[in-house]
Amino acid sequence: MVIMALMRTLEQMTEGDTAEFAVSSASELELVRRWCDKTGNTLVSTLMVEQDTGHVTVGRGRPRNPGSMIPPNRMPGARLWLYTNFHCNLACDYCCVASSPKTDPRLLGIDNIQALVTEAADWGVQELYLTGGEPFLLPDIDVIVRACVDRLPTTLLTNGMLFRGQGLRKLQAMPRQGFALQISVDSPTAEVHDSHRGAGSWKRALAGIRVALDEGFTVRVAATISAHDDPALDDLHTLFDGLGIPRADQVIRPIALQGVAEEGVAITRESMIPEVTVTAEGIYWHPVAALDDQALVSRQILPLAPALDRVSELFTEQWSSVTSATSMFACA
Amino acid sequence: MSKLIGAPLLIGAVAYTPNVVPIWEGIREYFDEPDTAMDFVLFSNYGRLVDALQAGMIDIAWNTNLAYARSVLQTDGHVRALAMRDTDANFSTVFVGAAGSGWSGPEDIATRRLALGSADSAHAAILPLHYLRAAGVDVDQLHLQRFNSDIGKHGDTGRSELDAIDAVLAGDADVAAIGITVWENIGRGDLMPGMLEPVWQTETYSHCMFTALDTLPEAVYAPWVAKLLAMDWNVPAHRRILELEGLTRWVGPHLEGYEGLFQAIKEQGVDSRW
Repeated sequence: MVIMALMRTLEQMTEGDTAEFAVSSASELELVRRWCDKTGNTLVSTLMVEQDTGHVTVGRGRPRNPGSMIPPNRMPGARLWLYTNFHCNLACDYCCVASSPKTDPRLLGIDNIQALVTEAADWGVQELYLTGGEPFLLPDIDVIVRACVDRLPTTLLTNGMLFRGQGLRKLQAMPRQGFALQISVDSPTAEVHDSHRGAGSWKRALAGIRVALDEGFTVRVAATISAHDDPALDDLHTLFDGLGIPRADQVIRPIALQGVAEEGVAITRESMIPEVTVTAEGIYWHPVAALDDQALVSRQILPLAPALDRVSELFTEQWSSVTSATSMFACA
Repeated sequence: MSKLIGAPLLIGAVAYTPNVVPIWEGIREYFDEPDTAMDFVLFSNYGRLVDALQAGMIDIAWNTNLAYARSVLQTDGHVRALAMRDTDANFSTVFVGAAGSGWSGPEDIATRRLALGSADSAHAAILPLHYLRAAGVDVDQLHLQRFNSDIGKHGDTGRSELDAIDAVLAGDADVAAIGITVWENIGRGDLMPGMLEPVWQTETYSHCMFTALDTLPEAVYAPWVAKLLAMDWNVPAHRRILELEGLTRWVGPHLEGYEGLFQAIKEQGVDSRW
């Protein structure tokens, strides 16, 4: 009966407003998709809690011109993500790329990174994001960071737990200008964070944030929120505020149904504004889908420019014939 | 009341959903040129809209078919029909029953419990009875269940038709009379699989109409109507308005499509004023 609920509710909504509806099966989700297409409304997102049940968010009307909705620094091609490696000292239960200590590292390598960054800057990419896996497991991560920052502003995503010994020395060798660290903290207290990421990880992440701040780095924080946990967002912001992290540098995002995650926001290429992502295995539409063959753009990672051109073309076509809304999935 | 040439046209419409505001803001923006500039006024019901047209408070009313008919009846025909949606020129009422009923045609409806929408909805209450009568059904003997969910808005919200459908799905009624747009919006039943099937469909008739008094100078309305008819589905900015308003193109008046409604008003004693 979701169609009756859609008709009753959307009639009373204004263009651009959204409402959430429960769906009880994959076929019902497909009916919602077809209804939106037929009636000029927008399936904004789906959140499947279990295999076939969950919620959909539907917006009144069609999405507007991307240029009027997407800031220039989020348009396709503005950001380039590089998966430096896939292995990690943690094994988070929602990791979108299934990283763990046992994961094959699949290193991108400094030579590829230098070539990619040069092409990206020439093409018009404005920002680089380095992620993994845990990049601080790489012995040459400081060299990689320097190679990136020399060409473009760069952010490195880390769990912040390895800023000791060699890791601290590598951190200290990194530039302070044009460079930021993004450290993951999922909850205001240790319990929820540690339940997803491992015992003791919350305390060490907080310690890592303090070390990075003391060393003079720009630090952003990112929380990944589960539908089942109490997000305690006010408390989370209070924690981050207390560390001296500006609100603009506090990223809060849902779990994506990718990798080893058993729940989360269902991701399709059509549902995401692309943020071109390079791994050792290929070029992908978005960093949360870097294992997803549906999001694979090219197996060949160099040259990069043709893939950036192709993603921009595909996004333009997709937007102009939108049948389901394209939304930002904020990784950073 | 005469109209100053060059002054913005004032269009009246009924706010049957909050979405009417962005629709009319989009239309106003489209017409924002010296010969066609316009503004709009929203009313809470069609009775007030028709009153405002006659009083000269507005230049053009975006009328439902019943509001158009009442404008004609209240002015002794001194109105001018200007334009309508392509979907208004081919409107119809669909009678739907529970899937598997196997009913077909007006004779199967005659012996069933019939759910109707709001009493002032031409497509969900007035014309269904008219066309059943024309098909030989003794409508005085029908077992009717009425859902007056959006009186004053002439069925625009679609709410009363959804109430009628719910009655069928709950087993409280056998057949529901709904407008073709609601039927299309559920994919002619395909988007509610295994729930509904069509029993009968009326002939096509006319629905909404931009209506002016016949005192509005042609020099005032003609450029506006010409620009309205020039709206193009293939232009994205136009398409957004067309899609929100439920049409693919604007067309000239199809007045023959109101004959059934004028007959129904007489047959059923529908008040010509409110």
